[in-house]
Amino acid sequence: MASAAKAISSPVPNEWYPTLAVVMLSVGLVVAASFFIYEATCTKRNRCIVKELITSGVASLFLGFGSLFLLLSAGVYV
Amino acid sequence: MESPIRATRILGFIFFSLLFFVCRSAPSHNLLISNAERRIDLTSHIVKVYLTLKVENAGSTPTSEILLAFPPTQVDHLATVEALVTKGKRKKTTLVRLDVKPTELPDVPNGNKYFTIYLANPLSSGESTTLEVLYMFTHSLEPFPAEIGQSESQLVYYRDSALILSPYHIKQQTTFIKTPSTKVESFTRVEPTNRAGTEMKYGPYEDHPPYSFSPILIHFENNSPFPVVEELVREIEISHWGNLQVTEQYTLVHGGARHKGVFSRVDYQSRPTLSGASSLRQLLARLPPRVHSVYYRDEIGNISSSHLRMDSRKSELEIEPRYPLFGGWKATFVIGYGLPLQDFLFESSDDRRYLNFTFGCPLLETVVDKLTVKVVLPEGSKDPSAVVPFPVEQHLEAKYSYLDVVGRTVVVIEKKNLVPAHNSHFQVYYTFKPIFMLAEPLMLASAFFLFFVACVAYLHIDLSIRK
Repeated sequence: MASAAKAISSPVPNEWYPTLAVVMLSVGLVVAASFFIYEATCTKRNRCIVKELITSGVASLFLGFGSLFLLLSAGVYV
Repeated sequence: MESPIRATRILGFIFFSLLFFVCRSAPSHNLLISNAERRIDLTSHIVKVYLTLKVENAGSTPTSEILLAFPPTQVDHLATVEALVTKGKRKKTTLVRLDVKPTELPDVPNGNKYFTIYLANPLSSGESTTLEVLYMFTHSLEPFPAEIGQSESQLVYYRDSALILSPYHIKQQTTFIKTPSTKVESFTRVEPTNRAGTEMKYGPYEDHPPYSFSPILIHFENNSPFPVVEELVREIEISHWGNLQVTEQYTLVHGGARHKGVFSRVDYQSRPTLSGASSLRQLLARLPPRVHSVYYRDEIGNISSSHLRMDSRKSELEIEPRYPLFGGWKATFVIGYGLPLQDFLFESSDDRRYLNFTFGCPLLETVVDKLTVKVVLPEGSKDPSAVVPFPVEQHLEAKYSYLDVVGRTVVVIEKKNLVPAHNSHFQVYYTFKPIFMLAEPLMLASAFFLFFVACVAYLHIDLSIRK
């Protein structure tokens, strides 16, 4: 039974975890920085909520995945 | 005058026929054991008995069930019973495992307990077959004297019968007993008895009726350490991100003769052969290969007296407790390690996943009094079920761990009285949709998104009191 059974492993290879964590967190922090720069420089009248939400959505996605891979590379297998 | 005589005749006939039926309801006597050879290995604290039976069907009907009997004092300490039959001719013999199940029989003499061996092919009349039976007893060596000092040797009693207890007539039987050293204080003589070096021979005895019993008592020296794990809790956590984390909590005790008097470290270290000959110095744990992050700690902290040797087929962890264990001394510790998921988690044919792992203590030559195995399945797993090769007790629990919303299902399996022979594999089946793995990163992403939305809301809302 065991010889023919297919082994299940992680969808992302374990060796990539640290690299992915660093890359995703840096991209996420760059996008988050652009969000805060937009908030700081733009005047109240020129604010566009759609742009803000899109930037924050992309930033949170990258930061979320980046922190997951950070936890996995540190040995906390969630 | 005729009717009373006839009445007594009828009564006599009824009584006789009843007696006939009562005799028939006892265990079937149409099997005959032509030769029985028993080898008892007393070298460690687990008593191993190898029984070779040549069973002949002297009745007229074919049978496929053979009974093994055990006296009630021994059956409480019985850990495992296995039966094998040799198949094939000389060079190509293979051993085929047979099913052995405990059975309840009505009207048994002396409260004996039985196990039934189910043969693969029924034994027809006149045929004979050779069976190899292996069974192990735990806690069967009684230390006597019950308390010894540091520099004394450990002597134990072993109680058994020179004649093999069986519900069948045995034509010829011999028993060989192997002791760990040549020092035997005393042993019961049941002629013919011989002793040569470390081996004692009781027999051959001819033509003994069923249930014949001849108690013997052997008092010998056994300086092997008696490691007994009173309680072991093994937690196996499955993470679909590629890791299996095993945490084992041990309560270890030395089950031999209790220690009395002082413990002198000087004597212990200067003369190791004389002092503390039966003390427990180290234990060896056999772990699967490719193990990582192994730790060995207790309530005080990390225990550094350990060695890990890794191989391509196995890993060996040699641990030394903080102090050597003498009789009656205890030690509690935790061993943990991580394993790659692809070695143990597989996909079954009906689209379910299953974990294939060893059941039992990885420590060699230890007896476990109570083992609890907890398999923590990832969040979102449904329909858990466990398949274990021997009778166990199971139930489900819930556990809350990292990033958990609904909790993880835990399959809890309990068993008592285990020996290293129980280290076979067991499987836990469950269903899991791979899309649930996204729940964890999306939970983190939504937490960050909530923070950004709060920033946007703060910057858009006008909180000034004056316009």
